[in-house]
Amino acid sequence: MKKNDSHKTRSLLTLCASIVFIFHFSFFIFSCSGEYIGVPRAEVLRYQTTPTYGVLHELATAYAVSLNNAVKADTLHPGMYAEYGVTLALMGHTGTACRMLNAEMKAFPESRGMVTRIKQRLMPDMLIDTLATPRDTANLVQLAAWAYDSVTALKPLPPVAAVIDSTDTVWISLQTPVDSVNYPIRLTATEKREILERQQAEEAARQQHVADSLAAEKQAAIEARKQAQLEREREKKAKEEARKAEQQAREQQREEERKQKAAQREEERKRKAAEREEAKKNKKKQND
Amino acid sequence: MTRNRDIMGVQRSAKECKTNVPAKGIVPALLRTPWYSLVLLLILASCSSQKKLDAYSDIYSERPNVIYVAPLNDLSLRRALRTTEDSLYNISLNVAAKHLYLTAADPLIHHGYYLPGPLASAQIAATEWRTGKQLRNDDISDYYTSLGIDAVLFITLQSWQCTYNTWTVEVEYVLRSTHSGNELFHVSVKAMKLLTTDFKGNLLPLGEDADFARRYGCDVETAQRCRLVETLNQYVLKDLPSGAHARQHNTERYIPSHPEYFNLKIHPDGSVQMLQTELYE
Repeated sequence: MKKNDSHKTRSLLTLCASIVFIFHFSFFIFSCSGEYIGVPRAEVLRYQTTPTYGVLHELATAYAVSLNNAVKADTLHPGMYAEYGVTLALMGHTGTACRMLNAEMKAFPESRGMVTRIKQRLMPDMLIDTLATPRDTANLVQLAAWAYDSVTALKPLPPVAAVIDSTDTVWISLQTPVDSVNYPIRLTATEKREILERQQAEEAARQQHVADSLAAEKQAAIEARKQAQLEREREKKAKEEARKAEQQAREQQREEERKQKAAQREEERKRKAAEREEAKKNKKKQND
Repeated sequence: MTRNRDIMGVQRSAKECKTNVPAKGIVPALLRTPWYSLVLLLILASCSSQKKLDAYSDIYSERPNVIYVAPLNDLSLRRALRTTEDSLYNISLNVAAKHLYLTAADPLIHHGYYLPGPLASAQIAATEWRTGKQLRNDDISDYYTSLGIDAVLFITLQSWQCTYNTWTVEVEYVLRSTHSGNELFHVSVKAMKLLTTDFKGNLLPLGEDADFARRYGCDVETAQRCRLVETLNQYVLKDLPSGAHARQHNTERYIPSHPEYFNLKIHPDGSVQMLQTELYE
């Protein structure tokens, strides 16, 4: 009986040990098993190492197969529609790509911001399909005009259209001299930086020009004020001189008049004296 | 003469029992047997390890749902191109780095998080002007406001070390919240893969490594490196709690998590051994 008890204990302990062993090692095995969640990694890796159109086409096919299987088996993982959409957009099939991105947004509403950003980058024309609110057209035109000016200075080819999205990514359609197909040109980070620096430099120059013109205007106003003051002083001086001259002339005239009056008075006195003398002489003659 | 019977069923005399310390009760019996001592140690180890609720308290409080894997910050050194071997070595490291980035999303998607795929992530990353270092340290709240991303996972490949039969890779994982800017998860792991070679010293692909090399059309060395980083990703990121909307988010709170500092040793047969360390060196 006691032997049976010990056997029971031993088998119980063995069972416990086996459970613990299986628990621990199943965790290891589960954690280390290779998993495949709809991303054809081999094709993605090949595309990342050699990004050519052929590899991209293979990648799109792999994504399509994977997506089809996932939809059939109802095992859709996050990002599968978006990945297929991005692949199609890179291949130039923007219509289907837009549908796929919209499907991603519908299946996973949390992807809305990311899908919008991807559309802004890859197919800005289709953005209206995603966003419910219309974009600020006036601002867009202004930005596009700025981008047009900025990129004309950077790129030797003449751009035919320029679009800038809200993430400051500039999209320029260029018409090459060889063929007449418009290519969307995505500016690199360096070019973007150059544009930004150029814009900052232009803004600084404009502000400097405004400041210079303001200073010049101020200086001109000061000069004009000084000139007017000088003019006023000169006029005042001239008036003063004229007044002085007039006064002098008046004094001279008065002096001449005085002199004339004095001369007349003298003549009158002399005439009266002569008359008096004449009268005296006549009286003396009469007396005589 | 009275005879006693111990717990293993062996009959002993009273004298023997007196001299040899009679084993009565289950604990002395367990301690006396090496197999059961090992079991006891395992049970004790599993009881003493940290729970997920304590290890990832920030994740449980912030409950992120959308995670974006930032472009890989590869700090590992490449060889100067003198021979063809150098070129092949560099290509192997480049492919392994890309594979590290590609496979980082899988465990998190399985945990119920929303992650954009590699091509979509590349498109998002192309619109970013800031460098990896700036992203790691600066304010990243715009990722939430404009993209709806709750947390950004930064992976830094620190170094590759090669000896004749082992490859060691050091990788740092940082998960930063876009709401608060806090680090929700930060771990640096050194993973070591033991290799098998033939009598000439050439690498022998075994099991899944051979499958990988055949499927990806790459050489043995690249396949083994890729498998190493894939296993590392699986092992490290699988330990994170499930996503906020996942069913297991609340139920797995008291499951033991990985220790704070650990290294990994991957054997040629694919089994993984975790080596707990006191502090990451």
